[in-house]
Amino acid sequence: MIISGNDLSKSYNQRKVLDHVSIGCDAGEICGLLGANGAGKTTLFKILLGLVTPDTGTVAVRSASNKKIGGIIEGPALYEYLNAYENLKIFGSIQGVDVSKKALQQCLESVGLPQDRLDPVRNFSLGMKQRLGIAIALLNNPACLVLDEPFSGLDPLGVAALRNLVVDLAAQHQLAIILSSHIIEELSKICHTLYVIKEGRMVNQGPAQELITNNTTTYTICADNIENSLALKAYETRFKGSCAHIHITADRVPELIFQLHEEGIYISSCVPELNMEKLFETTAP
Amino acid sequence: MKALIKAEIFKLLRQSKTWYALAALLMIEGVILFSAYFQGKNILDILLDNLKKSFYFEGTLLNGNLLVYLILNTLWFHLPLILMIIVSGSLTAEYKDRTLQTIMLQPVSKWKFILSKYIVAIGFTLAVVGMLALTSFTLSYGLFGKGDLIVYLNTLNFFPSGDAFVRLQYAFVSGALSMVFFSVASLTLAVIFREATKTWIVSSLFLILSNLLLKVDFGDTIFNRVFFAKLNDTWQNFFYFNINWTLVYTNSLLLCGYSLLFMAIGILLFHKKDIG
Repeated sequence: MIISGNDLSKSYNQRKVLDHVSIGCDAGEICGLLGANGAGKTTLFKILLGLVTPDTGTVAVRSASNKKIGGIIEGPALYEYLNAYENLKIFGSIQGVDVSKKALQQCLESVGLPQDRLDPVRNFSLGMKQRLGIAIALLNNPACLVLDEPFSGLDPLGVAALRNLVVDLAAQHQLAIILSSHIIEELSKICHTLYVIKEGRMVNQGPAQELITNNTTTYTICADNIENSLALKAYETRFKGSCAHIHITADRVPELIFQLHEEGIYISSCVPELNMEKLFETTAP
Repeated sequence: MKALIKAEIFKLLRQSKTWYALAALLMIEGVILFSAYFQGKNILDILLDNLKKSFYFEGTLLNGNLLVYLILNTLWFHLPLILMIIVSGSLTAEYKDRTLQTIMLQPVSKWKFILSKYIVAIGFTLAVVGMLALTSFTLSYGLFGKGDLIVYLNTLNFFPSGDAFVRLQYAFVSGALSMVFFSVASLTLAVIFREATKTWIVSSLFLILSNLLLKVDFGDTIFNRVFFAKLNDTWQNFFYFNINWTLVYTNSLLLCGYSLLFMAIGILLFHKKDIG
């Protein structure tokens, strides 16, 4: 593991925010931390990043770099009155990295930011600020990147662009990336491993697709004329327009799709609906 | 450390509030100069009504030296107040905008970071006092010329123009130490309270109490001699005919000691507290 937090606990005013939580991420791996608001995600990240001292447990980061870990907590925090170059220069110079114009241009390019924007970052969109925040986090080549709710507040295009950037960083730079969200769809699309946190305790964890498959009990299948399907009569089904919400386990979905095809019903989409209650109630081994 | 100090100076100079504060100080100085002219005229009329019949005074007594002295008398409340707002704001803004988190996510030592804030705060304070001294002398001499200085401290003290100029310079240097103390104290308060409004209220209270306690006579006690509030008018010692240099040096050293103590407390607290 590049980063591992073991047995981490934290209390504020006798309220336990984290209760013996462990998390780890390897090089090139993207780990997702799923939890509702107030579940303890940000506190866990602050501990991993060394901003908060845990009551119990340890954090170990395996890296020879001067900066072992980079991250963004609760959205990008930048000097709004400075431009992107000046922000990079400030954060770069204090840690002794190359802050020549060429180097800063490369930083901006690596996160897909335009190099000709010289106005203060307060004029930037949230997506651009998020990218600049990542560029700052990546200064000095950390081995691990921790991103707290990186998709929060972004429009669909911004979400897609940031998702691609995160995947590229993990694949091309072999970064260990841990990111949090309260939206499963965002995490399921890019994460190799998922951790589920509830009320300060890790209640579920494992390979992302396995976890999703095991906790998916409903699929939404959309197709013309689907309400006349005979195959669907074998399942508990609710119809809404040309879509059917079907209570079915993942292993039986291919068979159902085949049957629908045989009936001449051509599927336009098949979306798994994760059973969040089940996902959040499972006790971790 | 050098890079941290450079970054702090860069941030300070790029923030519009710094320039607003400097503009406010210059505006206040202008108003003080204007009011000091009329105040000085009244004081001179009262003080010298009888003396003018018996003594000859060279040049006009309502001159640049008297005006700089009157500016000095009124400057030591407005100046620390604005300095405290700017200096404490340099840290509370980092808490509010969460840029402190971003800084602490870089491989930067906490104590070096906060020490660089203190160093820049001290440098900025000295630069502002220097700027005010320069503008005070320039405006006062430019508009009202030079001349003998008359000051009433227990008795009337007269200083020839050249001597007055030197004493006024010493007074600015001594006053600068007081300003450094208030700036350092406000940064320590910012470390404790983190939030801008709370820090400003407590800083203002600290300044007002210091000014009130300065006037209270605690008798011939050690407390009366070493309590920080009593050290802030050390600059007045330069306007007694014989300067008590021992007292000036002792008070200045004590004030530097208090500034270092407040700084040490701030650094320790900042280092101990979690960020975020």
